[in-house]
Amino acid sequence: MFPLILAVVTKGDGDLMGRLQRRDPQALAELYDRYGQVVFRLILRMVRDNGVAEDLVQETFLRVWNRVGGFDSDRGAVGPWLLAVARNRAIDYLRSQSRRAESAIDLNETEHPELFADLSTAALDFDLVRQVKRALDQLDSQSRQAIELAYFEGMSQTEIAERMGQPLGTIKTWTRRAIQQMRAALGGAVPA
Amino acid sequence: MTCDELRLDYLLYALGVLEDPERSEVRAHVGRGCEACLAGLRDARVLAFAMGSAVVGPNPSPQLRNRILAAANGISERRWNWFTALVAAGATALLAAGLMFYQAGSSRAELAEARVAAQRSGAEAAVMRQALELIQAPETREVTFGQDQPAPPRGRVFFRTSDVLLIASRLPPPPPGKTYEMWIISGGKPAPAGLFSSSQTGNAIHLFSPTAPPTQSDVVAVTLEAAGGVAAPTSKPIIVAPL
Repeated sequence: MFPLILAVVTKGDGDLMGRLQRRDPQALAELYDRYGQVVFRLILRMVRDNGVAEDLVQETFLRVWNRVGGFDSDRGAVGPWLLAVARNRAIDYLRSQSRRAESAIDLNETEHPELFADLSTAALDFDLVRQVKRALDQLDSQSRQAIELAYFEGMSQTEIAERMGQPLGTIKTWTRRAIQQMRAALGGAVPA
Repeated sequence: MTCDELRLDYLLYALGVLEDPERSEVRAHVGRGCEACLAGLRDARVLAFAMGSAVVGPNPSPQLRNRILAAANGISERRWNWFTALVAAGATALLAAGLMFYQAGSSRAELAEARVAAQRSGAEAAVMRQALELIQAPETREVTFGQDQPAPPRGRVFFRTSDVLLIASRLPPPPPGKTYEMWIISGGKPAPAGLFSSSQTGNAIHLFSPTAPPTQSDVVAVTLEAAGGVAAPTSKPIIVAPL
């Protein structure tokens, strides 16, 4: 099942974030009710362990709760921010388990609240999610594996090349092709 | 590199997995306020959000929600049960939902019911917020009552300098023309502490702000009185809770 709730949750997030910034516990409950399922599914897909996933979901919401002061509730899109935090928590866990070296880019850099200001909230709806799912399903297996390793395991293209036993140039071609095909499939939903 | 050459790298950059030299190029463009790259990164973040949202799978356990909220509020699980019951309020909703968490071993169904009730909003929201704040406050103390009685009202009193909160179960609705009245007995002298009722399922919540801070030598009591209340108790207390 797709998270149908996404079609509506992004619309009233400004008020919710304002209440979170005022430390309203009920607002955190509402945030969880809106996004808890999506966050859990993403993290579970990445770590593949139910107990670990729940711990990381908790970390995710507490991190947002403790950092919400830096979020611009008038301009920010909380859903993308929340999922970025969730993904980073899961990647941190995966790296700690596999003793992989940290990426050259600090994960904190990718989840700074300011980065999620002025996103096109009109695009954050169910249609977009459905289109992305369809585009992923239509990718050739190599391109799909490459982009999934980048997204769900936080691998750089060099790491993907090692994992897939392919030259770096080939991996770059595959990942770019995956992105290009997704963008093409999305049409105007995510403008070039 | 040009913006056009970088446009297929925005997603990897937003995901934190792009490497040099492309990463440095994107950074440089962003650093000088390149509108095309900034817009491309915004779109990439939307795409990343959609990719994460497209994942299918099972749901988290019902307990996870409570764990997170309890952790966020820095309160113990035991107090969290009361907290949840209060959030479940909007007083009438609380009365309807009951003090389910007072009973040992709250079931998942009850937790789910409380969650539904918690989403309701009512005119009593301000009171509920005050009650929640009281329960969470580190200086708040609590006492129980009715534990050793065969079929009495049971519950707890939370109190601090400025507030007294009574939560009770097994308290039948008052008969027509009657009401429950709470008293704070200090030095043997009862002072009125507000009127309240209970639900059909026997649950009640009552918050009172006394003019004088309650002390641990005081007693909270509840009597059944004529509707509108009285200045001094006229019947035997139904609830007695030494602080």
